[in-house]
Amino acid sequence: MTPKPLQNCGKCGLCLNVCPVYKILKQEQASPRGKLQMIKAYDNNSLVSSPLLKEIVSKCLMCGSCAASCPSGINHYSKFMEMRKKMAQDQPEAPAIKALIYLLAREYRIKYGAGLARTGLKFMPDSLAKTIKLGNIPLKNFPRLNSIPFRNANDEIILPRKRQVGTVIYFTGCATNYLYDDTGFAFIGILKHMGYKIIIPKGQTCCSIPLLFHGASDTAFKNIITNINTLKSHAADAVVVDCSTCGEALKNEYPRMIEEKGQDPSLANKISSKVVDSLSFIDQNFDLLEFDPDITDKLSVTYHAPCHTKNSFGSNTLAEKLLSKLPFVNYKQASDVNECCGGGGTFFYEYPEVSKKMIDKKIKNAKAVKASLWITDCPVCRMNLSGNLDPDDGLQVLHPLTLIHSALKKP
Amino acid sequence: MLDTQVKNQFINILGKDRYLDRIEEVACYAYDAFVVEAAPDAVLFPETTTEVSELLKIASTYKIPVTCRGAGTSLCGASVPIRQGIVLCFSKMDTILEINTRDRYIIVQPGVVNADVQKALLPFRFFYPPDPGSMNTSTIGGNIAMNAGGPRCLKYGVTVDYVLGMEVVLASGDIVRFGSRNVKDVTGYRLSSLFCGSEGTMGIVTEAILKVVPLPEAIRTLMVTFDNLDNTAKSVTDIIGAGIIPVAMELMDKMTLNAIEDAANLGLDRNAEGSLIIEIDGVKEACEKEMNKVIERVRQNGAIHIQEAASDSEREKLWTARRSAYGVFAKLAPDIVTEDVTVPVSKVPLMIRQIMEIGDKYGLKVGVLAHAGDGNMHPMIPANKEDKVEWEKVKSAFSDIFQAAAKLGGTLSGEHGIGLAKAEFLPLVMNQDTMNFMKKIKQAIDPDLILNPGKFV
Repeated sequence: MTPKPLQNCGKCGLCLNVCPVYKILKQEQASPRGKLQMIKAYDNNSLVSSPLLKEIVSKCLMCGSCAASCPSGINHYSKFMEMRKKMAQDQPEAPAIKALIYLLAREYRIKYGAGLARTGLKFMPDSLAKTIKLGNIPLKNFPRLNSIPFRNANDEIILPRKRQVGTVIYFTGCATNYLYDDTGFAFIGILKHMGYKIIIPKGQTCCSIPLLFHGASDTAFKNIITNINTLKSHAADAVVVDCSTCGEALKNEYPRMIEEKGQDPSLANKISSKVVDSLSFIDQNFDLLEFDPDITDKLSVTYHAPCHTKNSFGSNTLAEKLLSKLPFVNYKQASDVNECCGGGGTFFYEYPEVSKKMIDKKIKNAKAVKASLWITDCPVCRMNLSGNLDPDDGLQVLHPLTLIHSALKKP
Repeated sequence: MLDTQVKNQFINILGKDRYLDRIEEVACYAYDAFVVEAAPDAVLFPETTTEVSELLKIASTYKIPVTCRGAGTSLCGASVPIRQGIVLCFSKMDTILEINTRDRYIIVQPGVVNADVQKALLPFRFFYPPDPGSMNTSTIGGNIAMNAGGPRCLKYGVTVDYVLGMEVVLASGDIVRFGSRNVKDVTGYRLSSLFCGSEGTMGIVTEAILKVVPLPEAIRTLMVTFDNLDNTAKSVTDIIGAGIIPVAMELMDKMTLNAIEDAANLGLDRNAEGSLIIEIDGVKEACEKEMNKVIERVRQNGAIHIQEAASDSEREKLWTARRSAYGVFAKLAPDIVTEDVTVPVSKVPLMIRQIMEIGDKYGLKVGVLAHAGDGNMHPMIPANKEDKVEWEKVKSAFSDIFQAAAKLGGTLSGEHGIGLAKAEFLPLVMNQDTMNFMKKIKQAIDPDLILNPGKFV
C-alpha cells in the first residue's frame, strides 16, 4: 500500500483571518500560509537557513488556530514544530530560551532553579523588581513561586470526601506545580467534593510542549517516555489536566511523536483517549457539585478563551456555558473573548512589540464589560493577562477551578 | 532585483518598514490561491492615496511592473506578479472611512476585509450583499478588482452592482474620482463599472463608496433532494418562474453529497442525484407565502426529501454542509483545482452531465457545486500536482469543460475572474475584434503596460 501523499497547502488564505500574528502585522510572511511556503522552500533547498528565516518561523504563538480552520486539513502545528527543530539546529537559540530548555528537561533542575529564583526574588530590592521587565511584563507582576512545589505538598493518592464515584489521574503540569498551586488545590477540592479518588503520580514531568516549541525534540522525547511510563502504571477513569497545552500534548502530540519515531503508539493512544481538560470534566460531572447556599451575592465575571482550549478541546464555549450556569456568577462576555492574548508560551518575551498590541486590546475589551474577575484556564494566558494589568484596572485573573471551588458547599 | 536608486526612492516614500525585498519575504508574495507562482522584486505597503500616487509615478518612470494584492485569495492568479516588479499590498490600508446607513452607503479603503464591512454594518441592521467564499479574508479592493460574487448574489447581484463610486490612482500617478454618494447617478461615463472587474490592469482603487442594504426581517432555509438531476435543475427555473427570487439556490451533485457524508456524517441523502439549499428572505409574511410556493414547486418536480431549518442552528448546519464541500474535496488529494464556468440556468443539468463525462474520460474524480440560480458552476477536481501525468489530465479536463460551457452559450468565469488561469481560453467566448478593443482601452489608460502585466489583456 502506498502511503497517502501529504496534503499541500492550497493557499486559499482562510488561515489569515484566524492568525493572531497576521492580524497585527498584516504581512504575508507572518501568516501560516507564508510559513508553510517557506518551509516548503527550505525543504527543497530553494531557501537556506538564516537568522531571518528563523525569526519568521518563530514569530508564531503556536496557538493552532490555523490548523483548526484549514480546509485541507494541514497540521500546521506539527509542521511548525518540525521546522523549529531544524532552525534550532542551524541557528543558535537566545540564552534565555536555552536556559528554559535546560530547566524543563529535568525535573530536579526546575526544582533547584525555582528555589534559587525564590531566594533571588527575596534579595532583589523592590525598586529593581519594579523596573525590570520580561517582555512587556514588569518583574513585580510575575507570580511568586509556590513555597513548596504542588506535588511535594500533596500525597500521591488522595481519597474522596464522600462515597467514591471513580478514580482520576491528575497531570498537574509545571505551572500548577511551581507557580499557581491555587489552581491545583482547587482542583483537588472539587474532585474530592465530587467523590473522586485522585492519583497525582510522583514520576510525572514537564509535558514537553515548551521544549518542542523551541526545537529541542530529543530532550522532549525523553520527557514523553517518562510521562507515558508514569501514567500507564495507574488505573483510572480519566487523566485530567488543568492546562490545555499539557492536555493537547497528552492527547495529540504524544501518539504522533511516538508513531513518528517508529514505536508502538498503543500505550500513548490509550492514555490519549482518557485525557480530559478540567472544564469538560466539570461539565460532565456538574450534577455532583453542590454550591454553598449562603452565597447570595453575584460576582461579575468575564472570560478569556485560551487558544489551546479552543483549538484542542473546543471547550471554550463550554467554559462560557459553565460560567453562565454558576448560581453565584453574573457572566459578561467580552467582545473578543476568543481572541489570542499574545502570551503564547515564550512569545510575549520574544516578540513584545507584537504581543503588546494584542494584550492591550484584550484588556480594553475586558474592562469595557465592567467585570471584577477575569477567568482563564491557561497558566501562560493568566501570567500574561495579570502581568499586563494595572492595579487600577480593577480586574483579578483566576483559573475557573479556583472560582468554582470557592463557592462549593463546605463539608 | 530593483536598482538601488529606485529602491531608495521607494523607501523615501514609505520608510524601511513598509518595503520588503529579502528573499524570505518576497517568497511569501509569489502566490495566491491559484497554482502558478512568481516572486516579486519587492513588496510595498502604502497607507495613503498620496503614497500610492507617488509610487506609481516612480514605477511608470522606470517602467516597473506593478501587481496589486489584498489578501492574495485570487483563484485565477490575478495577484501573482508573473512579470516580477513590485507588489503593492493593501493590507495596511484598511480603514472604514464612513458609515452612513441613512443614505445607504459605506466608504472604505481597499484593504478592508469584506467580513469587517459586514461586522461594522451589523449594529445598524444593514449588510453588504457580495459574499465570496473568501469573505472572511479577502479585501474590498480585491473584491472590486475581480467583481466578486457569492451565493446570495442570485437575489442581490455582484460587486459591480454595489459600487457607487471610487477613487483610482492611474498608472501615471494621476488620482481620478468617479461616481458619488448617490444611489442614482448618471453623470458622465459609469467608469466604476469599467474598473470593477478589470483585475488590476487599469488602475488602483484607493477608496470605494459601496451601496449597503438593510437586513431582511426573516430568513427561511430549505434543503431538498431529488432522485434526478433534471428535476433538480427544473425546480430552480420553476421557482424563479413563479416570481420568486431566492437569496441563494445552491446545488450539490451526488458525488459531492457522498463525499461530504463520508467525511462529516451529517445525515445527507446518499442516493440523491441532486440537492438544493434554497434560502429566501424578506418580510416575515412574504417569506411564509414564498416558502409555500417553493415547496409546492419542488414537490411538483418530485422532490424526495424536503427539510426546513427550524432554528438558526439547523440553518447553520445546512450551510455547514454546503461550505464544507470544498474542504472535503481538498482532503481527497494533495491539491485541488476548482473553476467557475457559468451557463444559462436551463443548461445546468446538461453542463453537469458533461462535466461528469469529462471526468470519466480522464479517469478523474469530479464534484460539482453550483450557484444554480445563476448557472454558476464549481467543478472541483482533487489531484496531485507532483504527478505530472495526472496533472496534465486535470488541465485537459478543464480545457474540455471550458469548451463545453462555451458551446452551451456559457462563459469562462462567473466570479473568479480570468487572470492567469483562463487567459488562453478567451477566444472561446470572445472574437478578435473584442479582444483588440479591450487592448485599446488598456493602452489608452496604461500606455507603458505596467499594471498587472502578463494577464488576460
